Amino acid sequence: MRIESKSWNDPVLVATVAPLAVVMVAFFLVPLLMTAVLTFQTTQYYRLVWTWDLKIWTEVFSKPHYWTIMLRTVTMALICVVLTVLIAFPVAYALATRLKTFKTQIQILIIFAFLTDAVLKTFGWILILDKNGVANWLLMHLGFPPEMLNLLFTPTGTMIGMVYNLVAYPIFTIYLSLVRIDRDLVLAAYDAGASRFRTFFEVTLPLSRPGLYSGAVLVFVLSLGAFLEPKVLGGGTSPLASELIRQSFETRVNWPLGAALTMVLITTGALMLAACAAFALRRTATTRRPA
Amino acid sequence: MSQRMRNALVDTTLVGSVVLLLIFFYAPIATLVAFSFTSSRVLTLPIESFSLQWYGELFNKPDFFPAVLNSATVAAVSTIFATVLGTAGAVAWIRYRFRLQGAFRGLTFAPLLFPQLLLGVVMLLWFSVLGSWLGFSTGLVTVIIGHVVYITPFALVVVAVQVYGFDETLEDAARDAGASGWEVFREITFPLLWPGIFSAVIFSFLLSWGNFYVSYSLAGTARTLPIFVYSGIAVGSSPIYPALATVNLVPALLLVIVAEVLRRRALKRQTSGISTS
Repeated sequence: MRIESKSWNDPVLVATVAPLAVVMVAFFLVPLLMTAVLTFQTTQYYRLVWTWDLKIWTEVFSKPHYWTIMLRTVTMALICVVLTVLIAFPVAYALATRLKTFKTQIQILIIFAFLTDAVLKTFGWILILDKNGVANWLLMHLGFPPEMLNLLFTPTGTMIGMVYNLVAYPIFTIYLSLVRIDRDLVLAAYDAGASRFRTFFEVTLPLSRPGLYSGAVLVFVLSLGAFLEPKVLGGGTSPLASELIRQSFETRVNWPLGAALTMVLITTGALMLAACAAFALRRTATTRRPA
Repeated sequence: MSQRMRNALVDTTLVGSVVLLLIFFYAPIATLVAFSFTSSRVLTLPIESFSLQWYGELFNKPDFFPAVLNSATVAAVSTIFATVLGTAGAVAWIRYRFRLQGAFRGLTFAPLLFPQLLLGVVMLLWFSVLGSWLGFSTGLVTVIIGHVVYITPFALVVVAVQVYGFDETLEDAARDAGASGWEVFREITFPLLWPGIFSAVIFSFLLSWGNFYVSYSLAGTARTLPIFVYSGIAVGSSPIYPALATVNLVPALLLVIVAEVLRRRALKRQTSGISTS
């Protein structure tokens, strides 16, 4: 791979970089700054007033109600990370090392399910998890007592939906880091007499760390914004942060409050990202040191 | 022997995990398709008899076809923008080195790390403020802008994988043979990147077609298909939604089949090219 150094005087560089950069600045970066600015304003009679004070922030920090929901959101996100990674790893590993014949077909099936409308898939889960739904019907016909599971409109229902909608991300990232592992390293470990298990834990697993970390961070960050699952499958019984944000926009028409809560969520995600990046960098620094 | 058994056990577990995942992935989709053909009003098993009446009811709903049209327009326009911007971005990411590249990479990758709802909310705030200054309200145009911001990073990553394995000696050869800059792009660069660009098109279209969060925040009074479904199931489950889900799968299915056929044909051409040369 040859890399070309380009100066900003080169029209080719401007033509490739500028349009995308402009779109992202105008519709992503500026809106983000605008959101931060809005948290210092207030509303009166459902209208925005440019006051420049800390009223909203004192409200956010003084109401424990917001922080209970925030804490619940982070807890749910962490559980979701653990579950998705535990499911994704064996699947990605099987795709990378076994199943040579049907690999493409399975990949297409996974991508196809991933790209299908999330609202419809979530609606499908209602039909499965409902008290008279498919899951209980199947269990009954397998000899279990009728209406055994009662998962719809519970946090477990929410979690099933979140795992379902997010598990594809770690499958992609872990798979990508597994296929990039140099096969010779694994063979060298075998030659040196290591068992398959030892090789897995000392060669493959450490080398798949980039995929594990990036998948985990993606799931964490994306599940902070879960809205459909708690609303549709959780029945709104234990709302998450996203619900709070929607309410402050739609019911209360309080933009500054919604903006402040959004900033809290974004900051939480960013801190997690930074922590993970720092951790990953330190790990690679220590493993690279000659023994 | 025990070693072999253990290996067999590992293999079974691994393959089993893939099978279980596919069942998990397709359980709700299969359920929807099955229920779309029921004749009953309540969506419970067992399905007593089959009928197409809910498809009829769906097509007779006055807001159904406008929603389809909106979804298709948004998906088509966003796909064009996202693919073009994403391809240019991917080339700049991988092949070029320039000042402020780090900032460019961060800026173009960050939306991928944003929960869609927050992305939608942040843009909604911006468009609302902008709208109150300039006198416009949110609608399909803002949805398209939102989709482009959300989808371009995906397209960029998909194309970047293709750019990464790019063999630039072919470009050099074409240039040595006297091709102009545009000819090199048209005859060499573009065809070589085409598989990645094509995957990006499919990815972008389906991400936009099925997108709920961003559309929901930015659509104003306009409705796309996912919003149409959401507002329906928020009120209570009606038997027309399984039918809608099945209809919704059709464009995705068609795209995947077309992609697979093209891939096979390209593969065949490649292998036959090798055997003749």
